[in-house]
Amino acid sequence: MPGADLAALLTQVARGDHAAFAEVYDRVAAPVFGTVRSVVRDPSLSEDVTQEVFVEVWRAASRFDAGKGSPMAWVATIAHRRAVDRVRSEQRSAERDRRAAAPPIAYDEVAEAVEDNLDRERVRRCLGALTELQREAVTLAYYGGYTYREVAGLLGVPAGTVNTRMRDGLIRLRDCLGAGS
Amino acid sequence: MTARQPEPHTLAGAYAMDALDGPDRARFERHLERCEECTREVAGLHEAAARLAQAAAAPPPGALKELLLAETARTRQLPPVTRGAPAARRAPGPARPAGRPLGRIRSRARAARLAVALAGVAALVATAVWAAGTVGRSPQAGPPPGHDIATVLTAPDLTVLTGLVRTGGTATVMMSPRARMLVFAAAGLRALHGSRYYELWLMGPGADRPAGLLPMPSHGMSGPVVATGVRPGDRLGLSVEPAAGSRRPTSPMILVLAL
Repeated sequence: MPGADLAALLTQVARGDHAAFAEVYDRVAAPVFGTVRSVVRDPSLSEDVTQEVFVEVWRAASRFDAGKGSPMAWVATIAHRRAVDRVRSEQRSAERDRRAAAPPIAYDEVAEAVEDNLDRERVRRCLGALTELQREAVTLAYYGGYTYREVAGLLGVPAGTVNTRMRDGLIRLRDCLGAGS
Repeated sequence: MTARQPEPHTLAGAYAMDALDGPDRARFERHLERCEECTREVAGLHEAAARLAQAAAAPPPGALKELLLAETARTRQLPPVTRGAPAARRAPGPARPAGRPLGRIRSRARAARLAVALAGVAALVATAVWAAGTVGRSPQAGPPPGHDIATVLTAPDLTVLTGLVRTGGTATVMMSPRARMLVFAAAGLRALHGSRYYELWLMGPGADRPAGLLPMPSHGMSGPVVATGVRPGDRLGLSVEPAAGSRRPTSPMILVLAL
């Protein structure tokens, strides 16, 4: 079970083990960088944020609690939150306009970006099983990094509806993927 | 403020995908602390979100790893959270929004100084609350300072640092690395004569950036000043400058804090 190994590695990292940290990096750098890039878009900014994410993983490894979730979810949560927060703080400047001009990455575009990715295949299939509104709400929020209010504006539906669809969509996705198992 | 706030529970999906902005996120996190079921649900949704992350996998540039290993080699790690340490739990923490543990308190002095730091924080918060409209501003444009202060105070990664100012006084910094913002306040700074002010600096690998002039002290408190655009590895400096502010420090730093 690779997840268990990753958890053990994080325990080593928490004790200051640089080799374990390098191993953690090798295992999760691609999902982290891919996620950050899909939200941030700008390549050099994405590298910058990815670096911040891993410094945070290093710094906070002792806070990882295997009882609360998988190591991958812990790292992905840090990565996504950092990416989104960076984008939102950049939005105070002219960045907002530039980003608005570039459409968010569609899930099939993401899906096609990497080959030999089994996760991608399953995620693609499970996303396909959602209603259109659920799928759009989930992909705009996760891959686009938009707030639910922004998603509501983009889709032209009430914010409350978007909230419900995001939750329902993610629950269906979780059940479809058997996430956490 | 919107007239009607959504039911916290319906926000679990948006929260798990970071689709809540600052105030909504803070509100939901307060709700999470009281709702075990929501915490479990969010954990499950984070697992699903992690699969979305894996599906987006893309290899980063090779050079990143070496840069990163160099960076972590000089980065101190957080100690584990020690649960069931009643003393720490009951510590008088006026500025622990939503009961969240403080990030790190990095200070020369030890536990005794925590009280001083928290007192400074309490004063800072109090000052922030009713002086939000008139606080000093860093040069960067942005939303009103009251909003920025609230963002930092409610940030899940809130970190508090304290330090002694060389010429007298205590400085308190509340920082959110994620929001890349900090709130600075000082107590008991030596009064300055003539047209001289205390100026904050963000000092990183590049040039030092001015981060705001401290307003005139009121009741012994200087600040709060909000600084934005904090980068990893930055240090915060304080120096005495002409009232108009300087583009570069023109006098020695009287406080340097590693952020």
